[in-house]
Amino acid sequence: MASVATKASRAPSRPFRVGREMFILAALAVLGVVFATYSDAFLSQRNLTTILRNSVDLAVICAGMTIIIIMGGIDVSVGGIVAVSAVLIGRAFQLGLPAYAVVPIGLAAGASLGLLNGLIIARTRVPPIVATLGTMYIFIAVLFLVIGGVWISGLPSTLSFLVLGNILGIPAGLLMIAAAYLICWLLLRRTPWGQHVVAIGCDEAAARLAGIRVDRTKVQAYALLGLLGGLAAILYIARLRNVEVNIGTNIALEAVAAVVLGGANIRGGVGSLIGSLLGVLFIKVTQNGLVLIGISSLWEPVIIGGLLITVLIMDALESRRST
Amino acid sequence: MKDPLAQRMLSLVALLVAAVVLGAVLSPHFLMPSTAAYLLQYVPVLGVLGLAQTLVMLSGGPGIDLSVGATLSLVSLAIAGLYGLGLPLMLACLLGLVLGGLLGATNGILICVFGVPSLMATLATMFAYSGLALALTGGSPIGGIPDWFGVLAQGRFLGIPIHVWTIFVPLAIILHILLARTRPGSHIYASGNDERAAFLSGVQVLRLRFGLYCLAGVLAGLAAIMTLSWFQAARPDAGKGMELLSVTVAVLGGTHIFGGSGRILGTVLAVLIVTTLQAALQLANISQAWQLAAIGILLIGSFIADDAVSARLRVRRLRAV
Repeated sequence: MASVATKASRAPSRPFRVGREMFILAALAVLGVVFATYSDAFLSQRNLTTILRNSVDLAVICAGMTIIIIMGGIDVSVGGIVAVSAVLIGRAFQLGLPAYAVVPIGLAAGASLGLLNGLIIARTRVPPIVATLGTMYIFIAVLFLVIGGVWISGLPSTLSFLVLGNILGIPAGLLMIAAAYLICWLLLRRTPWGQHVVAIGCDEAAARLAGIRVDRTKVQAYALLGLLGGLAAILYIARLRNVEVNIGTNIALEAVAAVVLGGANIRGGVGSLIGSLLGVLFIKVTQNGLVLIGISSLWEPVIIGGLLITVLIMDALESRRST
Repeated sequence: MKDPLAQRMLSLVALLVAAVVLGAVLSPHFLMPSTAAYLLQYVPVLGVLGLAQTLVMLSGGPGIDLSVGATLSLVSLAIAGLYGLGLPLMLACLLGLVLGGLLGATNGILICVFGVPSLMATLATMFAYSGLALALTGGSPIGGIPDWFGVLAQGRFLGIPIHVWTIFVPLAIILHILLARTRPGSHIYASGNDERAAFLSGVQVLRLRFGLYCLAGVLAGLAAIMTLSWFQAARPDAGKGMELLSVTVAVLGGTHIFGGSGRILGTVLAVLIVTTLQAALQLANISQAWQLAAIGILLIGSFIADDAVSARLRVRRLRAV
């Protein structure tokens, strides 16, 4: 039980895991230098903006995923949530609904699917990995039934300013990411609710005995991730103005990878929002840079997997030293 | 009913019958011998991966192997590639099994030596293995597997595919005997039930789990050989989606996701249920969406049922004390 005790004592006092964030930053820097030497275009303002725009959906999801993983949960269905929300948004646009009606539809769809996950996990005690695996199949089924195997394309550009525009000279995508992370950070580190999340992640039984409404907090956290999934769907459509059949297939695993790269412990209790954001950037910079320097983007998962293994071994060695 | 796990097996048989009835209602072609052969064609690959997943889960930890599908892809490419380099096909297959074992051993080292949670470790290796499979081939399949090799998965004996006779059924029987009748089998259940108690009674829990991850890799290699014989080509995405499907099959079959309880028979029945359902809906020309939805609902539903079973088991154990 020593590990639980150290985790509990460490979590509040070290909300920022500086070591890990520095490591990812260093890895990013190395990657950036390599890409910049082999490609002149990499450091151009245009390319950096592209990277930012491509990161928006994954970044927003990872804010919610960080909270779920800190709580000791996991959600592999978030790709399905994004897909179903995106399809509903697309259909709503095709019905001629205006943007101010479509955005709430997307958010509500995402939040209610997340709520469904939360209810299954909290009420039936199905482990989160099994429950969200099951709902992922169901969400993909809903996707197929609504979309019917054809792309939805040519959607109006009324929402594009959310990602592609500039607000007060700052890229709008950056503002969206900043807003999502600021809100999640405030929730996680500056409210009692956030303390409950960390407590559940450290020791669920103890949290329950301490009077925390564990089930309610879980449902709320999964609903929050669902809401962010809906937001990601909106931003995805704002950026690309179409819905592919295979939208969202890799998002969940990429999000888990980014969050763990950023220093979260899959056993719960430990995690960093800033770290997760850096993890997202690492994944997206790799995707972008490999294409620019002419290496097949098929190598991207190899690099992500390799770094993930490195980071997991580092974690293991660190925790061995501390016990 | 005395034994909750036996009851679980009965309910799986009932589900299987229900799936067959559903198939017969949906399509007039379903109740024909050719359908059975067609259906059994799909069983061994998923079945062997499901058995591997069952073993890993049973030993606890909690144990899970998300990399089985990626291992399958990588091994089948390696075999096809080695054969292309001029090695005899049988030797290439043997080396493929060794490679599968090594890939499994990598998981085992991460999980049992470094203490990385299995979910994370195998997620990382899944990225790495499936990425390697795609990157090394540029995403295109490797063909040129000779016709005689296709006999394994395409040939029939008494109307049933040969790989069911020669690989799946013997493997299931061997693993059943291993779990139910041998000392290592009881050690697997013991580690899954209470790793501390198992360790204190002299079970080398970590060494045992390490061995099972290696075995899971070898079994994924075996599945790779079967897909190779089936398609006569190695596809870099051959195992895609198999990781989640194999978890589904193991859990549906009654294996507890945190280990300690489950049976080989359950996994075999679950594979039959899932494939029957898929074949039935496919024959009836019903959208793939419903197959996915059915799997999802079965997965969650079976876990809720399983939870009820294990609650009853716990009550019985308390009474016995």
